[in-house]
Amino acid sequence: MVDFHEFFVAILRSGTPLVYAAMAGVIVQRSGIWHLGLEGIMIIGACATIVGIVLTHSFTIAILAATLTCVAASALQWFVIEKLRANQIIVGLGITGIGIGGTAFAVEIIFGSLAAVSAPFGVPRIGGDFGPYSRLSILVLAMPFVVLAIWVLLSRTRFGLRLAAAGEHPFAARSVGANPSVMRLLAFAAGGILCALAGAELAAGSLQIFAQNMVAGRGFMGFAAVIFGGGHPVGSALAAAFFSLVGVAGIRMQIHFGAFVSHDLLLCLPYLATVLGVWLTSRTRRGTRAAAQIAELQDH
Amino acid sequence: MTGKLDAILRPLAFILLATLICGLVFQIAGYSALLMFDSILDGAFLSRRSLEKSLRWALPLFITAVGVGISFRCGFFNIGAQGQFYIGAICAAFAAEWMAGAPAAIAVPLGMLAGMAGGALWALWPGILRLRSGADEVITTLMGNFIAGLILVYVTSGPLKDPSGSGQQASTRIVPEEMRISDAGGVSPTIIAIAAAVGISGWLLVNRTAFGALAGLAGRNPTMLRFQGGRIWQLGLASFLISGALAGLAGSVELFGPSGRIASGSLPAHGFTAILVALVASYAVLATAVSALFFGGLFSAALFLPILAGLPASAIDLFNATVALLITARIALGSRLHRLPGRWRNG
Repeated sequence: MVDFHEFFVAILRSGTPLVYAAMAGVIVQRSGIWHLGLEGIMIIGACATIVGIVLTHSFTIAILAATLTCVAASALQWFVIEKLRANQIIVGLGITGIGIGGTAFAVEIIFGSLAAVSAPFGVPRIGGDFGPYSRLSILVLAMPFVVLAIWVLLSRTRFGLRLAAAGEHPFAARSVGANPSVMRLLAFAAGGILCALAGAELAAGSLQIFAQNMVAGRGFMGFAAVIFGGGHPVGSALAAAFFSLVGVAGIRMQIHFGAFVSHDLLLCLPYLATVLGVWLTSRTRRGTRAAAQIAELQDH
Repeated sequence: MTGKLDAILRPLAFILLATLICGLVFQIAGYSALLMFDSILDGAFLSRRSLEKSLRWALPLFITAVGVGISFRCGFFNIGAQGQFYIGAICAAFAAEWMAGAPAAIAVPLGMLAGMAGGALWALWPGILRLRSGADEVITTLMGNFIAGLILVYVTSGPLKDPSGSGQQASTRIVPEEMRISDAGGVSPTIIAIAAAVGISGWLLVNRTAFGALAGLAGRNPTMLRFQGGRIWQLGLASFLISGALAGLAGSVELFGPSGRIASGSLPAHGFTAILVALVASYAVLATAVSALFFGGLFSAALFLPILAGLPASAIDLFNATVALLITARIALGSRLHRLPGRWRNG
């Protein structure tokens, strides 16, 4: 049983950043845009959290700084897609590049070297007497509630319905007085907050370290979870949990069958699962595709 | 003619804008932007030696970018050039390994073919998933990049491991001297001839064949293509295969040419930069050559930037990403542009 708990804790630990990133992707997806900048905004959040903790010795200030920078980066992405009408996929990749290059640049000018930065402490832990679970961060504990809250927000509130209208039928949104463009900005801002949490959990949840390019595709995996989960918050969270399960199972298999299968090939499993997921999604639902141009989402 | 002028002025304007933005950021971060631009120019373009270095990085970029351009022109966002480049290099390395001892005149062309086949194969499965099931190629090719990166780690620490390799970065065994098509300088007649052959056949394919005409149509207006009797299936698969094969060719040029080996995690930005090169050139082959030289020069300058201007090499990554952010923007620089009919992607 102890082993099961350890296994479950490992899944929670590696899956939580994915779930937060996927939630950011879900909200932005609702507004009609594919959020391929998740990777970049997540690494900005990770970097800002660690640098904030190191410089100010306060977790609160660090997470606020991370939130602010992530929201700013998301707003930039929104601006280029919405106002400059650039291709959303290329812009997403550009934001990812800015996140990876910019954080490396920032770390080098602040600390004078490219070495990994480690912080004295990280996200507060759950604590108490819950065995292996007490070592998890409070962001892990908050994760299921955030997912449920986003589900309620998207399907049970006026804001959520207007957001969906902005993505699916801008004219309908406009006819009830909601500006689709502003709705998308709000979606990106909310996505920025969630990406900051994703980055904070990744860098300060258990490791308390920031290294160059440390997100290593998790943002894209979070995005794939959105597609796999059909854009539904709970479905996407489950998809993210599945990817993380596959990853953790791969590491366990390494321990038991390491002599037969290479470790690096087992690390492929989450990516392969993602491809499989996207393929299954396209077979079951009529393949999800990004809007070709922002003009399709602006009805004027 | 306005269209052509637009196609030249727009990317220039965006590159200028990105330069201004980044210069401002670097200035605020406490570096001298002027010194930086000066050292980029010096380090990349202004002397024969530096121009040769830029060309060394530009040639593989050009080969990959021609392929990326063909696939984008067709409306398929194959962003998996990085993975196709890696798999191409791996297949070429395996071929070189198996043919050790064979005459170079046979082994090298066969090795290059193996590289092209490998790259094409790595583009084939996303292509089939996209065309048969509608699985979005953006995600599948992206995941393919990560998988290819891990396969490279596996190959360089397993089957093709260089036993003499020490330190952190594993790499394949070095290609035998007689099979090399250039020295470490990377600019040899053979490589230039390969790039020229790719350029010319790419240009002919795009401008002088039915495939090129239909590909342009498929990218702009897939419905029209269907009415014209074009088959998106064949066209799409061909564009995936061509772009993959060219990325694989670039990988094998790197292997048989300047690098002589392929290390795990080497050239991690090759695919992304090639996409930028193609976008800046608006997929036109001649313009691709110019923009490949530009980005190759930037890459070459990045290696000297820390020495000359005291700037971290990531400054160039930041600049490239800023260009990527802006390059597809449709600001009213000639208001006809955003009135162009057609979609960016096939529905």
